[in-house]
Amino acid sequence: MSRVLPWLLVMPATLVILILLVLPLLDTVSVTFIQQEGVFAGYQEFFDRRFNRVVLWRTVRIALIVTAIAVAIGFPTAYFIARAPRSWRGILIVASVFPLLTSTVVRSFAWIVILGRNGMINETLMWLGLTGEPLSMLYTEGAIIVGLAYLFSPLMILSLVGVLENIDKSVVEASISLGASPTKTFWRVILPLAMPGVIVGAVLVFTGSFTSYTTPVLLGGQRNTVLSTLMFRQAMVEFDWVAASTIAVIMMVVTITVVLTMSRVARRLNPAAA
Amino acid sequence: MRRYSPILAISAIAVFIFLLGPLVIVAAASVSNTEFLAFPPQGFSLRWFQNIFDVSAFGDTFLISLQIAVLSVFLSLLIGVPAAYAMSRFGFALPKALASFFVLPILVPQIVFGFSLLSAISVDFDLPVIPTLLIGHTIIVLPYSIRVVGASLATFDFSAEEAAISLGCPPVKAFFTIVLPNIRGGILAAFILAFITSLNNVPVSLFLTGPGVSTLPIQMLTYVENFFDPTVAALSVLLMVLTVLVMALVEKTLGLGYFVR
Amino acid sequence: MTKSLNLSGISAHYGRTQVLKDLDLDVKAGELVSLLGASGCGKTTTLRLIAGFLQATGGQVLLDGQDISGVAAHRRDIGLVFQNYALFPHMSVADNVGFGLKQRGVAGPERGARVDEMLGKVGLDAFSDRLPAALSGGQKQRVALARALVIKPSLLLFDEPLSNLDAKLRVDMRVEIRELQRAHDITAIYVTHDQEEAFSISDRVAIMDAGQISQYDTPETLYRRPANAFVANFVGFETMIDLRVTGRSGGHVSVEGRGANFSLDENVWGSVPDAFTLGARADGLRVVEANESEGLPATLTVRTYLGRSYHYRAETPLGSVLANGPIDRHFSEGDQARLVLVPEQCCILPATA
Repeated sequence: MSRVLPWLLVMPATLVILILLVLPLLDTVSVTFIQQEGVFAGYQEFFDRRFNRVVLWRTVRIALIVTAIAVAIGFPTAYFIARAPRSWRGILIVASVFPLLTSTVVRSFAWIVILGRNGMINETLMWLGLTGEPLSMLYTEGAIIVGLAYLFSPLMILSLVGVLENIDKSVVEASISLGASPTKTFWRVILPLAMPGVIVGAVLVFTGSFTSYTTPVLLGGQRNTVLSTLMFRQAMVEFDWVAASTIAVIMMVVTITVVLTMSRVARRLNPAAA
Repeated sequence: MRRYSPILAISAIAVFIFLLGPLVIVAAASVSNTEFLAFPPQGFSLRWFQNIFDVSAFGDTFLISLQIAVLSVFLSLLIGVPAAYAMSRFGFALPKALASFFVLPILVPQIVFGFSLLSAISVDFDLPVIPTLLIGHTIIVLPYSIRVVGASLATFDFSAEEAAISLGCPPVKAFFTIVLPNIRGGILAAFILAFITSLNNVPVSLFLTGPGVSTLPIQMLTYVENFFDPTVAALSVLLMVLTVLVMALVEKTLGLGYFVR
Repeated sequence: MTKSLNLSGISAHYGRTQVLKDLDLDVKAGELVSLLGASGCGKTTTLRLIAGFLQATGGQVLLDGQDISGVAAHRRDIGLVFQNYALFPHMSVADNVGFGLKQRGVAGPERGARVDEMLGKVGLDAFSDRLPAALSGGQKQRVALARALVIKPSLLLFDEPLSNLDAKLRVDMRVEIRELQRAHDITAIYVTHDQEEAFSISDRVAIMDAGQISQYDTPETLYRRPANAFVANFVGFETMIDLRVTGRSGGHVSVEGRGANFSLDENVWGSVPDAFTLGARADGLRVVEANESEGLPATLTVRTYLGRSYHYRAETPLGSVLANGPIDRHFSEGDQARLVLVPEQCCILPATA
């Protein structure tokens, strides 16, 4: 084996990422700091505007709520799948994977059909006589949250199924044989061992929700601006590329911070894996 | 002999209804004989399916999406498979950080990447839409190629390749005759995942598409923002059928256990 | 308080397949009993049933006369040692061992003291803060043992506890397990597929086959007087010869099988039924010169050297058998010889149909 061969083989992929991903990103980052008014002027301006602060907080809030919902929905479901008989497991996994392979546009659009003026919920409510006028559920923050929870729950389920399936059954039995009730066994043994999966899933869901564009634009409408829709507007409507770049950098910083912190937390929670 | 607690079973069933129900509802809404989206559908009509073909933008953008997907997946495999091979086979000779470096395209928010590509490449170098889209999509699907093929290579026993070489087979030929056939499944899986990812992508394409040249998801997004009729519901049904076909292909070739790993 | 265990009329099913058939087992207080058998014989099912992880479809599990069939697994007060140790990977050695005490509401200081004492007994005092991943296989199994013992269970169950260890460690560990079980005076059930291990460690051994107990007795009896062909085969009687009695005079019994005739002395062999199967270990058929007056004529084929003696494959009128030859007489392959029976290495079994 020649010593250059491994390098030669990884070279094309490395160069492509370096030149076409890293460099453009560095360009975006540098633009925000090279300002006449000062290095941090772009950020100063961003945070000075109340509207931007509201948008940032809204985006964080939505992402946090969606993550919490995804954990709450995903854990029992993944647990159910992991313990299901083999013959069922395949079907249940298909049911979880199918939405993931379907276009995000389709999946967000589905909630327009459900939440819209003539949508399922309004038709049901009016048929039951609970409301005379259709409720406006679409174009609200709640709609964005429901849509994103719908979008990302399967990711959480799949991150957890693998982890839960890998928990040695005899470890659970050992806990029970030592006198821990099934509930206690869940809190003391299963949950701690599944924590890495919860964290991986939570990171995926949080960052995905935090940076998502399609769902907020379809279900949030004009009033519920989030960072990604704000960034798009700054870049493509207002043509203020510095402002758009500033938002891009803020999104990256938040995402990378979350990923790094959580992977550190995961390592601390599960020293056994190290 | 294991039994579920009924609460767990009921909540899981509720979640599956939550996951699949909306897709069923979309399908039902697509046959509504109304000018607006309605569920339950009012009347029955296939005219919105007809409308997909009448709005030429859907057909045009679908073809563009298809080309971009096939080409970008091909390119990503072309550069991704050698990288995955090198990391499995000669991992000891390469820096550990390389594996993390190759997941960068997943780590970076796609919408940020799309914007950066627009401002740094397509504007600065005045690159046309299609090549820029191709670059963007190749990079976002590259991690799938590297990691899925890498997972497949991780289970491959390289002593088989060494045996071939010791029997007089030249190394390059050994790769194609011994290694490649054994990681076919991984390459196919990478192809399928990457293809779907590219075909459905919004955030990267968002900034790169231009007037006249768009991708299907972007076209759908624009349509939904401007029209309230069930055309997109009908189109969604067609896309779901495509997804079903893809999953059937995965099931046939790899088994569905593939998705949990 | 040492307790006795009785299984009476236990049956168990996996779906429609019956895996245990009307199984009875009595274990006296303080006894160590092994369940021995090949995989699929039902020994692990029996163990899991006692532990409460499986529900019997019939019969009773009695602990000191009390039926515990309806008691939930975590209330059974049974120490369980798993094949793969089943240590909690996210807890230190001390926390693993203390887990059961915590469930029993044993307060911190006392718990710490009991954990330390138990870790001392298994020689792991220095490892209490380690995580399981940092231990060797033998150390892991000691932790698992300590974890099961520290709760002073009324019953200790072992599920092939040594099968993941190397041969040398296996021998050391089984002595250690026996000592700890005796010292704590705990009734124990030990599941294994290793005959030597079961015989060396147990007061009594139940040899299982197809969901039933074939024979349940002391290792000595099982080894010398197997009750049936299955057990005989299991304890090393490789040659089985079907014979019938053709005449009796005084203490001597003439027997015949496939045209070969010879006689047995009832003073040596005990009473001989009219039709029976003779089981013989390789050492139970001794090779002697062809010109001896007694013995079964044989042609020697394959010879293997065993250090203390030679083994030969021998073709006889009764079929192909394995026989033992002295180290000082070197027969060649193809030689004619005679085979004589060594009663201590043979057994008389009920005739197979």
